[in-house]
Amino acid sequence: MRAKFEYYAPTSLDEACALLREHEGDAKLLAGGTALVMWLRMGLLSPGYVIDLENVPGLDGITYDPAGGLRIGAGVKHRDLELCPEVREHYPLLRETFYKVAQPRIRLMATVGGNLSHGDPMTDPGASFMALDAEVTLRSSRGERTLSVEEFFVDYYETALEPDEILTAIHVPPPAGRVWSHIKFTPRSEEDFATVGVAVTLAGENSRCDDVRIALNSVGPTIFRARAAEDALRGRDLSPARIEEAGAAAADASDPIEDVRGSSDYKRELTAVFVRRALEQAAARLG
Amino acid sequence: MKREMVLTVNGEEHDVEIEPNRLLLEALRDDVGLTGTKEGCSIGVCGACSVIVDGRLVSACLTLAAACEGKKIETIEGLAEDGELHPLQRAFVQYGGFQCGICTPGQIMAAKALLDHNPNPTTDEVKEWMSANLCRCTGYYKILESVMAVVEGKVDEGRRDEAVRQARIQSLYQSDTYKSDTSD
Ligand SMILES: Cc1cc2nc3c(=O)[nH]c(=O)nc-3n(C[C@H](O)[C@H](O)[C@H](O)COP(=O)(O)OP(=O)(O)OC[C@H]3O[C@@H](n4cnc5c(N)ncnc54)[C@H](O)[C@@H]3O)c2cc1C
Ligand code: FES
Ligand code: FES
Repeated sequence: MRAKFEYYAPTSLDEACALLREHEGDAKLLAGGTALVMWLRMGLLSPGYVIDLENVPGLDGITYDPAGGLRIGAGVKHRDLELCPEVREHYPLLRETFYKVAQPRIRLMATVGGNLSHGDPMTDPGASFMALDAEVTLRSSRGERTLSVEEFFVDYYETALEPDEILTAIHVPPPAGRVWSHIKFTPRSEEDFATVGVAVTLAGENSRCDDVRIALNSVGPTIFRARAAEDALRGRDLSPARIEEAGAAAADASDPIEDVRGSSDYKRELTAVFVRRALEQAAARLG
Repeated sequence: MKREMVLTVNGEEHDVEIEPNRLLLEALRDDVGLTGTKEGCSIGVCGACSVIVDGRLVSACLTLAAACEGKKIETIEGLAEDGELHPLQRAFVQYGGFQCGICTPGQIMAAKALLDHNPNPTTDEVKEWMSANLCRCTGYYKILESVMAVVEGKVDEGRRDEAVRQARIQSLYQSDTYKSDTSD
C-alpha cells in the first residue's frame, strides 16, 4: 500500500533543514525521485512528509578551479555532470561513470546527491568518487560537517546521514595528474546495474605505482575501497604478478550477494578479473 | 490530504483535486483524462510513460504530480496542431515506426525532447537517446529511421526516394552507440 504523506517544497536550505528537523524520522527528502518515488509506490517507505528539494537554491551548479578542485551541488542531474565541459576535461573518470548510469532519461532526472544518499551498493558514482578521494558536505540546522565518501556509506541503503541532515555538495580534489580506469560489467544489458563495478585512480611513472585507489560497487553491502589490494601495489612495480595479487585481494575483500546477476562465488571471481583488468588499463595510461 | 491544484498540460489548465502521493502518470490518465501516456514497467525502465515537464524528458511513473504544479507539461496529445500531425507523428506513420503502439507516445515524446534541444543530432546521438525507450515490436530500426527522417527534414521525400532511404538506413547500421572514453 502506498502511504499518504504531506508534500512540501521549501524555497531555502534553512527552511528545508527546519522542516526535516520538525518532522525528524517521519520525513524523506525528494530529489530526482527515481529511487524515492519507486520506494514510496512499492510501500517500502511510508514517511508522513515528503520534502522536495527542487526549489532550494544553492544545491545546483558545478564549479571547477585548478587549485580547489570540483564542487558539485547535490541537486545536479547526472546528465548535466556528464555533459559538463570541465568534468570532461579534468575528471574523465566521472564523465565515463555518469555516462554509464542507466539511460539518458534516468540521467536527466536523477541527481548526484540522490544517488549517493540512496546508499545503494549497486550504484556506480560512489566508487568513482571514492577513487577520486571525494568528500560530501552534510548540513542540518545544527551545523555543517564534511565526510569522505568512504565514511559516508555505512551499510545496504544506509549512509552516515542523520535524519535531520541534507547532503548539499560533493567536493572532488584536483586531479593531480593521476590516471584512471573504470569498468562496469553489465552482461544482461548495457543500461543494467553493474554485476561488478571497478574504479581506479593511479599515480606513478613507467610501471611504478606511487599511489593507487581501487573502489568497488555491486559486490558488498556498501561501495568500498579495496585497501588490501591497494597495499599490494603501493610503492611497487606494477608487474603482472602484483596486479594478479591485487585482484585476488580485492576479491577476498568482496562480499557479494547472490541475485539474478549471478551467485556470490561467480561475482567474487569476476571481482578478481575486473580489478586486474582495470589496473592493467590504468597502468597502460601511466606516462 | 487531498489538495486542489492546477496542472498545465499542453497549454491548457486542468483543476484537479489529488493526494500528494499521486503520480503524474495517474494524474494525467485518470484525473485529467489524457490516456495517450502509457504505463509499461512502472519503474523507470521502459519509457512508455515519457512526457516533457518544463522542457525536460521524464518518466511520469517516477514523478509526483504535486511536484509538477505550475510547470509546463507536454504529452502526446499536444503534438498535432489543427488536426495536422506533428512531423514526428507523420514520420512514425510513414516509416512503420510502430506496430502495437503501446510504446509509441513515449518514443515520440522522447524524440521530441531531443529535437527541441538539439534539432540536428547525429545518428549516434539519436541512437543513444532513444535507447531509453523500449519497444517489443519494431526491432528499433524503424523507430530510428522515423526520427532520422525528421532530423533530415525529409519525412515525405525519403519515402518516395529509395536512395535517400537506403543512405539513412546504412548510416543507422554503421553507427555505434557506445562511445566510451576507455577506448580512446
Ligand atoms: C531504471 C533505473 C536504472 C538505474 N540504473 C542505475 C545505474 O545503472 N547505476 C546507478 O548508479 N544508478 C542507477 N539507478 C539508480 C539511480 O541512480 C538512483 O535512483 C538515483 O541516483 C537517485 O537519485 P534521485 O535524485 O532520483 O534521488 P531520489 O529518488 O529523489 O532520492 C533517493 C534517496 O536519497 C535521499 N536524498 C535525495 N537527495 C538528498 C539530499 N540532498 N540529501 C539527503 N538525502 C537525499 C532521498 O530521501 C531518498 O532516500 C537507476 C534507477 C532507475 C530508476
Ligand atoms: S512506465 Fe514509466 S518508464 Fe516504464
Ligand atoms: S510498437 Fe509495440 S512495443 Fe513498440
